[in-house]
Amino acid sequence: MATPPYRMWDVVERASTGPFCEQQEFLTKILVPKLKEVIEKYGIKYDSHSPIPTQDSLADRVWEAAVELFRDVGIYNQDTHRRITFSDKEILEALSCTAGEYNVGIGKDSKILQHRGVEDRTPPFVIFSPDIIFDEEDFLTACIAYLKEPLLDGFCAPILEESMGMRIQSGTPIELAGSLEHAMSLREAARLVGRPGVFLVAVGTSQSDASQISVSDPEWGVRTTDSRLIGSITELMTNNSMMNKVVHCQQYGCYVANLTGALYGGYAGGAEGTAVLETAYHLNGLMVYQSHYQMNFPYHLKYFSNTTRELLWVVSVYSQAVARHSKLVNVSNGFANAGPGTEMLFFEAAAHSIASTVSGANLWEIAPARNKNKNRATPLEARLAAEVGHAVARSGMTREEANEVVNKLLGKYEDKIADAPLGKEFKECYDARKGIPTEDYVALYESAKEEIAKIGIDFPY
Amino acid sequence: MNDEQIRTLVQTVVDGETDAAVKTAEEFVHANGDIDLALKKLTEEMKGVGDRFEQLEIFLPEMMASADAMKAIMKIFLPKLKESTGVDASKGRIVIGTVAGDQHEIGKDIVSVMLEIFGFTVYNIGTDVDPLEFIKRADEVGADGIAMSSLMTTTMAGQREVIEIMKEKGVRDKYFAIVGGAPVTPEWAEEIGADGYSDTAFGAVKLVARLVEERRTK
Ligand code: B12
Repeated sequence: MATPPYRMWDVVERASTGPFCEQQEFLTKILVPKLKEVIEKYGIKYDSHSPIPTQDSLADRVWEAAVELFRDVGIYNQDTHRRITFSDKEILEALSCTAGEYNVGIGKDSKILQHRGVEDRTPPFVIFSPDIIFDEEDFLTACIAYLKEPLLDGFCAPILEESMGMRIQSGTPIELAGSLEHAMSLREAARLVGRPGVFLVAVGTSQSDASQISVSDPEWGVRTTDSRLIGSITELMTNNSMMNKVVHCQQYGCYVANLTGALYGGYAGGAEGTAVLETAYHLNGLMVYQSHYQMNFPYHLKYFSNTTRELLWVVSVYSQAVARHSKLVNVSNGFANAGPGTEMLFFEAAAHSIASTVSGANLWEIAPARNKNKNRATPLEARLAAEVGHAVARSGMTREEANEVVNKLLGKYEDKIADAPLGKEFKECYDARKGIPTEDYVALYESAKEEIAKIGIDFPY
Repeated sequence: MNDEQIRTLVQTVVDGETDAAVKTAEEFVHANGDIDLALKKLTEEMKGVGDRFEQLEIFLPEMMASADAMKAIMKIFLPKLKESTGVDASKGRIVIGTVAGDQHEIGKDIVSVMLEIFGFTVYNIGTDVDPLEFIKRADEVGADGIAMSSLMTTTMAGQREVIEIMKEKGVRDKYFAIVGGAPVTPEWAEEIGADGYSDTAFGAVKLVARLVEERRTK
């Protein structure tokens, strides 16, 4: 199925004809006041007792607030200093042209990535991703270890900071080298594990538009059945480098996701504003970035995570809003406080997976250790998140039940968030050459899974 | 009268009500109020605003509103202060930006607002900033220091480059140079010869305050 790019060249042109303002004015005089206004107008209120809120009306109001915000504020282009805006009619037009379902990957490895509903029994599509830099020498083996995971529907590799022993410097040919190495090794790993056509999201090592464009190749690089991530700039902003990637991806013909994290505590303000913004970004994805799915990581200003109570509420609320009012495909990206090899990380992964799955999201799991500690991620915590997601969907868990379980999980780690353990590196948890977890690590995973089962998750195995 | 006006002034600034703060400040100046005292009180209370943001009891928009109100009344107070004491009360001028190739913005913006809250004059020159641009801007505005943010290991070298160019141009001692951003460590700061590092916005304020103080007493 296809979603046509939404009037791409007209949108691109709007970046140079839309209303002018300076960036600071956009953020503080246009965006922030309007956000406050819609939160008030639609009576949106965070409730700390319900990390998974159960009233449809809250999700409905968040959706309306987000559409009004997006319509009135638009997206600011930092390079042209102009706002790209849309009318209500255009928003409706774009929404009604959404397919909500895509065939991704190729051949026997091809899968369907689709829109999910609230309390949907269809299991989430799970993209596995460490979301962090790995040493160059471990890149291929780490990819293999991830790609071995049976519940993996799509994969996004670690990021390189060195290529062929050279230190990558942004915007130089060495960034290009790293991007090529990333794309080639990833493809190689997929072939080696017998999943040559698996859906890949690549390449995270590319920082500039030039190097992102350089890895489009059906043989060794990113294929048209794979996907790219194009970032939104915090908040509701873009720039020409991002727009170059947008245009290239449409012309090349690959899938696109809008990579977006509204920042709790920043311009978004509290949980309410973060949820409204994260919802509004879906319209940026649909109409400005011409995306096929939305990759969401709302996160906490102090902890860089989204497994705190407020952020789980945000994840649940924006997901419900999008699920109930559109066919847009939402992929929810977990950001945990703790590092690998700790029980806490498993509990955080479970909480994020439950909040997302029951609320209508697909999964992208999971960035450990506050997403800034090299080599600190493994496939095992992502496996647990995937298993939890499948269990939640298949058992037909309701939001009420999910809320209870998530509250119990929070009880296990909430007080440790500020001083979350960093845990271990990939190679301390895995036999890296074989790409399998160590016995100790498996034992830890098993015992965490048992505890999670005890508090209400019905695992099939 | 003096006390009450100061209380109103402090309250309006903390609440980020710029218009009301400006009006009170103008009346205060007109009535020959004690500006030193008002500034002392304001600085204390603004520290509270910074603290509350650090605890996330308030969020960035509220802190920015306070900073804007503070900037607005400083414009009214500053000329008067020079008259009465002969010293420039401006605590220091900082040029801040994110280094070349890097589009991560928000951490740098938070540091920037936090510095303003504490009374520094900040020139925020955006993201993906060419190394030479940092130095040119510092020269243009007569800065005390340059603050560089980098969120990627692949752009951190940009921080070193700014410091190297400062040396080449013979202005290394003219401005202090500080660094920050998620991948930046104290070891890196030392390796590239930066004057300081911090991993929080609050820490950045303390660092800048110390470095400005050192320059003033030199
Ligand atoms: C949000 C985010 C984005 C947003 C940025 C939006 C924006 N314009 O701000 C988007 C989606 C656009 C983005 C894009 C990319 N990102 Co990014 N991003 C992040 C993320 C998750 C959070 C950064 C953030 O905003 N933190 C919140 C603020 C408040 O914290 P902070 O910036 O650290 O600032 C605080 C302190 O550090 C300090 N501080 C900051 N600056 C300064 C300066 C001085 C002088 C001082 C004293 C203190 C100081 O004070 C601040 C307040 O407390 C980080 C992960 C992380 N944990 O940092 C990845 C991360 C930085 N991104 C990464 C990557 C790879 C990318 C992309 C290349 C992805 C891609 N392939 O497209 C692109 C790069 C585009 C480019 N050319 O820059 C990697 C970098 C890896 C590396 N090589 O080091 C990270 C680490 C994620 C990861 N683990 O892989 N990203």
